[in-house]
Amino acid sequence: MASRGVRPQPRGKPSGLPFHARFTDVAAHAGLRAPVIYGPPDRMDYILESMGCGVAFLDYDNDGWLDIFLLSGTRREGPVEGASNRLYKNNRDGTFTDATAKAGLVRQGWACGVTVGDCNNDGFDDLFITAWPQNILYRNNGDGTFTDVTEAAGLLHPGKRWGSGCTWVDYDRDGRLDLFVSNYLVFDFDKIPPTGKDPNCNFKGVPVNCGPRGLVPERPMLYHNNGDGTFTDVTARSGIGAAAPGFGLTAVAADLDGDGWQDIYVACDSTPSLVFHNRGDGTFSEQGLLSGLAVNEDGNEQAGMGIAIGDFDTDGRLDALKTHFAEDTAALYRNAGHLVFEDVTLRSGLGVETRHVGWGDGIADLDNDGLPDLFWVTGSVFPEVERKHPEFPHKTPRVLFRNLGGGRFEELLDGAGPAIAEAHSSRGAAFGDFDNDGDLDILIMNINEPPSLLRNDVRGGGHWLKVKLVGTRSNPSAIGAVATAVYGGRRQAQPVLGSSGYLSCGDRRLHFGLGPAAMADLEIAWPSGVRESVAGLRADQLVTVKEGVGVVARERFGS
Amino acid sequence: MTRTVAALLAIAAGMSQAQDQRPGVEAHLSRGAQLMQDQLFEAAANEFEQALELNAADPRARFEFAVCLVSLGRNDEARRQFDEVRQLTGESRYVTYYLGRLDLLSNDYASAIRRLGSLTEEPPFPDTAFYLGVAYISSGDVAGGTKWLERAAKLLPHDYRVHYRLARAYSSGGREQEAAHEYGLYSQLRDEHKNTEKDVRECTSALGTGPLATAREACHRIYDPNDPEKLTLLGQLFGDAGAFAEALDPLKRAAQLDANSFEAWHNLGVSYFRLERYEEARAPLEKAVALRPNFYGSVVLLGATLYMLGEDDAALPVLERAHRLNPADTETAAALEKLRARRRK
Repeated sequence: MASRGVRPQPRGKPSGLPFHARFTDVAAHAGLRAPVIYGPPDRMDYILESMGCGVAFLDYDNDGWLDIFLLSGTRREGPVEGASNRLYKNNRDGTFTDATAKAGLVRQGWACGVTVGDCNNDGFDDLFITAWPQNILYRNNGDGTFTDVTEAAGLLHPGKRWGSGCTWVDYDRDGRLDLFVSNYLVFDFDKIPPTGKDPNCNFKGVPVNCGPRGLVPERPMLYHNNGDGTFTDVTARSGIGAAAPGFGLTAVAADLDGDGWQDIYVACDSTPSLVFHNRGDGTFSEQGLLSGLAVNEDGNEQAGMGIAIGDFDTDGRLDALKTHFAEDTAALYRNAGHLVFEDVTLRSGLGVETRHVGWGDGIADLDNDGLPDLFWVTGSVFPEVERKHPEFPHKTPRVLFRNLGGGRFEELLDGAGPAIAEAHSSRGAAFGDFDNDGDLDILIMNINEPPSLLRNDVRGGGHWLKVKLVGTRSNPSAIGAVATAVYGGRRQAQPVLGSSGYLSCGDRRLHFGLGPAAMADLEIAWPSGVRESVAGLRADQLVTVKEGVGVVARERFGS
Repeated sequence: MTRTVAALLAIAAGMSQAQDQRPGVEAHLSRGAQLMQDQLFEAAANEFEQALELNAADPRARFEFAVCLVSLGRNDEARRQFDEVRQLTGESRYVTYYLGRLDLLSNDYASAIRRLGSLTEEPPFPDTAFYLGVAYISSGDVAGGTKWLERAAKLLPHDYRVHYRLARAYSSGGREQEAAHEYGLYSQLRDEHKNTEKDVRECTSALGTGPLATAREACHRIYDPNDPEKLTLLGQLFGDAGAFAEALDPLKRAAQLDANSFEAWHNLGVSYFRLERYEEARAPLEKAVALRPNFYGSVVLLGATLYMLGEDDAALPVLERAHRLNPADTETAAALEKLRARRRK
């Protein structure tokens, strides 16, 4: 985490166009009232306390309604009563019930990232959690309970490691979800230099927690799913271990070059970000620099935190958005094909926003106008700084850029509901439709506060289409599939992801805003390599498409 | 020579001899220049605005103000100020350069190409070709952009940004071997840059905490006999720590390698002066003042040097100028009084 001293670009005149999404934080009403404990309430003495954790939308009981899984931290001085990762079951009426204890998921520790997917092909979503000092795999028993199977799965590692990003990925297309884990840095409370010890532990003249610069970077890991409930560490064999060490955070698996094999993009903090290109033979080559995704357009590495994958210019290719530290811009990369990305941050209008540290992000059509917008949450890592520098507050607002078309974005400081301007020190963010009303809501982790649940109420009459993919030859979760909706002269691609934003996991049901288009065609590239098309889908419904079968269910909901 | 100084010299040359130079303008310009050097752009802009309040027709103040605004990201205001400079002095390649860069920032690639392209015969700054290349690439003309980035790489061989952009341009054009070469250069330069940052931190820390002998060893890693910027940096670090004798060698070599480096000459002069080697301080300070006539620190030190050498006639106008640049400095005022008294005797 480091500032690059970038100054914002001037804001242009507001477009004056209406924005039809309105966000309200309904977390308290929904029953999400327990704070997410992560370190002391008023300071962050260690980098571990400052990084926070992710959140997930999932449907663990397959009832068609999104449930919520919130990770949690603890405090160094001792356990905090009530602090735990939490599972909330969706009551289908806008409220949730805490099902953590019933599900067997009570656990307090330094959890970081989460990936959701059916790793044993039994039809229920399992949970993998990264944490310091040990990651955890929970098997979903299909009866509302989970079992910690980390040791049985062969995922215990020797020593203490700080697992950060994680994603399910079927890298060898055998129909089983393998597991990629990024590690942040070598951390030990007793060995980390104290606050303010050297220039790496100082921000704007204020002593702050040390790192990541000056600390020892880590390498990511890849585990192969053996299909019998166990995993094998293939980090070295696959070439993942050959990459230079870095301060790895969010990891996202998606077929970035459209060759049918999932690649892996890792946001790295203050070191060049990594792109593992899947060669299709069980090995990867690191292509960050060649792809253009490692650094910004001037060749400078940035403090990579969150990654969003989507198709902002609706050209049918997957683009990327990466969030960074304050006094720097987020980076928007346009996919030019063949694993070549262009940094279009400044020309797209994102250079106006450099005030906050950015974390969980999304490329998502929030107002159903057919053009994916950009959203990210923010929050400082140094609460001590605002006392001396009020211009660097600890709690900061959300950032929303609406898509104007033509590759241009406009930041909406207001006009998208009260929840956008509300200030928190946020980290993870997940996108999904928890109330099944045909738009995208947002779940956010706030450090030492209850989470935010931003309910989206879309007006304006824009149509939408939701797509749930179920793999048969592919993994049942369809993680790695790419669906392309063709509507109103646009082609918008969306991947099914096992992880996104910052250490988080969103709704696997893909959401396409269609604008005025009342129909859409769908092209699906399954992770198995099978390609399938569905023509003439009516808008404003959820369709479930089973690999090799076609549409198997249609559900109309929403206003 | 810093870009602003060069530009100011050129712009000042276009000024009317009959212009009204009210008291105070020079002082604001001088303070603004110092603040710009310290990258305190808000405060610098404030100084230049005050200078403009005293003399709205001073193109130097307006130009400096506009450059500050660019650094502050206030691009629309900067554009207006540059346009006013143009009205005061006529066409200037320095103004054209900045307007071209502003065009680039506002995604007006055609205008950026037109403006920056008009400067290629006599580029005002070495990175003109770089920005022209970026403008071409951004407009979709990879071949055109590659040509200018290749030129930029020759002019700025140590700038990793240039090599990265060139590598990307080669990649886009399918020239993979050349791309790989440029990526290699980029990585090497980027690593060097990061190593230098680390070395500077360690040198500063060693100078602040340990004996000079130990610090010398830590700081020697910055010494690159062929890199004037690194040599100047090393000299400054020694100077900041009061180790003026150690600063001499790197600064002398830096000044030899880049005779237009104001920082090298100024710091060399400061080092000699602080070592009380006034005879040797004189020439570097004269060079520094020639390069930045409004930089108070150099002017006052040259005046003091001449005073110490007993060259009162030469010292008087220099100290008078220093006083105009910074009327608030009571020590300069006192020295000036003393000098005048000595001359009267």
